[in-house]
Amino acid sequence: MPTQPVPSPTPTPGAPSGAFDAPLIRDFMAGSVGNVFKVMLSMDAVSVDLPHDAATLEGIGKPVKIPHDRIVGSIGFNGEATGNVFLHFELPFASACTCHLLGMSESELAEAGNECLNDAIAEITNMTAGGFKNALCDRGFPCMLTLPSVLRGSSFYVAPVSSAARHVSHFDCGGHRVTAEIFIKSNDPETS
Amino acid sequence: MSIKILTVDDSKTVRLIVRKAFKEFQCEILEAGDGVEGLSVASKASPDLILLDVTMPVMDGVEMLSRLKGEAALKGIPVIMLTAEGGREHVMKVAKIGIRDYIVKPFKEEVLIEKVGRVIDLKPVSDAPAKAKSYTDTADILVVDDKPAISEQIREGFKHLPWRIHSASSQGEAIDFCARATPDLIAISLSLPDEAAYSLFRLIRGNPKTKYTPVMALVVKTETGQQQQAQNVGMSSIITKPIDLKELEAKASKAMNIDTSNRYFATEGDTLVMRLPEFCTQSTVLEVESHVKVKIAGAVDAGLTKMVIDAQKTGALEMAGIKLLFQTMQMCRDLGLRCGLVGNPRVVAECKGFEDTRNWKFCDSIEQARLGLETS
Repeated sequence: MPTQPVPSPTPTPGAPSGAFDAPLIRDFMAGSVGNVFKVMLSMDAVSVDLPHDAATLEGIGKPVKIPHDRIVGSIGFNGEATGNVFLHFELPFASACTCHLLGMSESELAEAGNECLNDAIAEITNMTAGGFKNALCDRGFPCMLTLPSVLRGSSFYVAPVSSAARHVSHFDCGGHRVTAEIFIKSNDPETS
Repeated sequence: MSIKILTVDDSKTVRLIVRKAFKEFQCEILEAGDGVEGLSVASKASPDLILLDVTMPVMDGVEMLSRLKGEAALKGIPVIMLTAEGGREHVMKVAKIGIRDYIVKPFKEEVLIEKVGRVIDLKPVSDAPAKAKSYTDTADILVVDDKPAISEQIREGFKHLPWRIHSASSQGEAIDFCARATPDLIAISLSLPDEAAYSLFRLIRGNPKTKYTPVMALVVKTETGQQQQAQNVGMSSIITKPIDLKELEAKASKAMNIDTSNRYFATEGDTLVMRLPEFCTQSTVLEVESHVKVKIAGAVDAGLTKMVIDAQKTGALEMAGIKLLFQTMQMCRDLGLRCGLVGNPRVVAECKGFEDTRNWKFCDSIEQARLGLETS
């Protein structure tokens, strides 16, 4: 089955990232993911360096390769900096995170249904993007979050449009992979 | 009437986390998914506190806050923001509208409870009026002392009781323990370095989970200044070192509101028996004394006609013990309960030394005393 692109509101790979160089973005995201996982899920999220090849998505426009069904939390930010944050989870790990967050058992979660899982992943993404966005704000790029949404499936990727830079960070969370994908551009004419 | 907390957040997950966080407290959690719903619930239910998200559909948190402050009936409700929007400028903007606190997501439940507890009086569910604990029930006692021998001494001294003694050697360890569990009693050594005992006491009182937990001060007998200071800051009671374990047990029981009457009182057939312990310390006497009136009245109410005071195992009554016996016998006379005494030679000799008690007749056993009361 071919991968289905999900259009991103912020555009094009390979565009200049202006004030946001890759190490800075990665630091912001690593700090935010680490904090959310530590505080809300009592778990370390360790940044993992993967080879820069197409399969691992540093290649522009390639899908994030996750071998299981996955769930992706998505949220935008608008202001002096504009972009999107996507947080990719393997579905079983997303369930485990939701159970921990809400103090539920697997069977209780199954009974509660997909809505509960989707809402928990949306909230984890909201908190993660919040931390990232707050770091941008404190760096002089005030912006606001949009409402989060969730995508589920096994064969899709986020297709960026022009002028936004794309950054991908992988995390090891107790043996599970979580991937953060960020599209960002500065709206400040001096830095973009 | 229980405290009402309104959580306004479009995320059901956050509303569930808030509900989970406060389930150990006497409060009702109300929920709303956006600002419009939040204003509606606030108008109808008049919550004591609102936890408010910023980014929500229909009406966001900033708009809801502004409208809340514009309504005479609602503007007094304290609001704590609970949001992922944590940029400095944004926080300043919201703070100007009027909020009590600002919590940036992600958040620990303990932080949420602590900040809410600063605004409203959170009472643990376990603090609700309930039957007093019995001394056969388990209890968790946290001993905070940098000398391990003290905890060990207390553990050893209480091994006949189902009380679990937990040790912490520093303020940090004590706080960590309280984050994991809520002890029934905390004993803090006043000799912790840098006056840590007092700062720990303040933290314990500031934490809604331990706000009502009794706190005892452990202090060397000669340190009267420290004892005074502990009383002034509001510690429940003072235990002096070297520790008298009987005194500690009595004070701990009292502090934990443990019903100790079964230790001293029993109904045996048609007779109420009051047994004095081996060591009749001041605190033990006070403990027995606190039960006497209720127990005698209960015996009369139940149709009992006899009471035996058993001091057979008591080492020395001292003045306080003799006074207790005297008052108890007086109470029995007032209520028409015939009263007999059982004592050993030392107790008998002690009572011979006072004008009011020199003619008391002691028996050698409870059975003998009961027979005596039947034939009298």
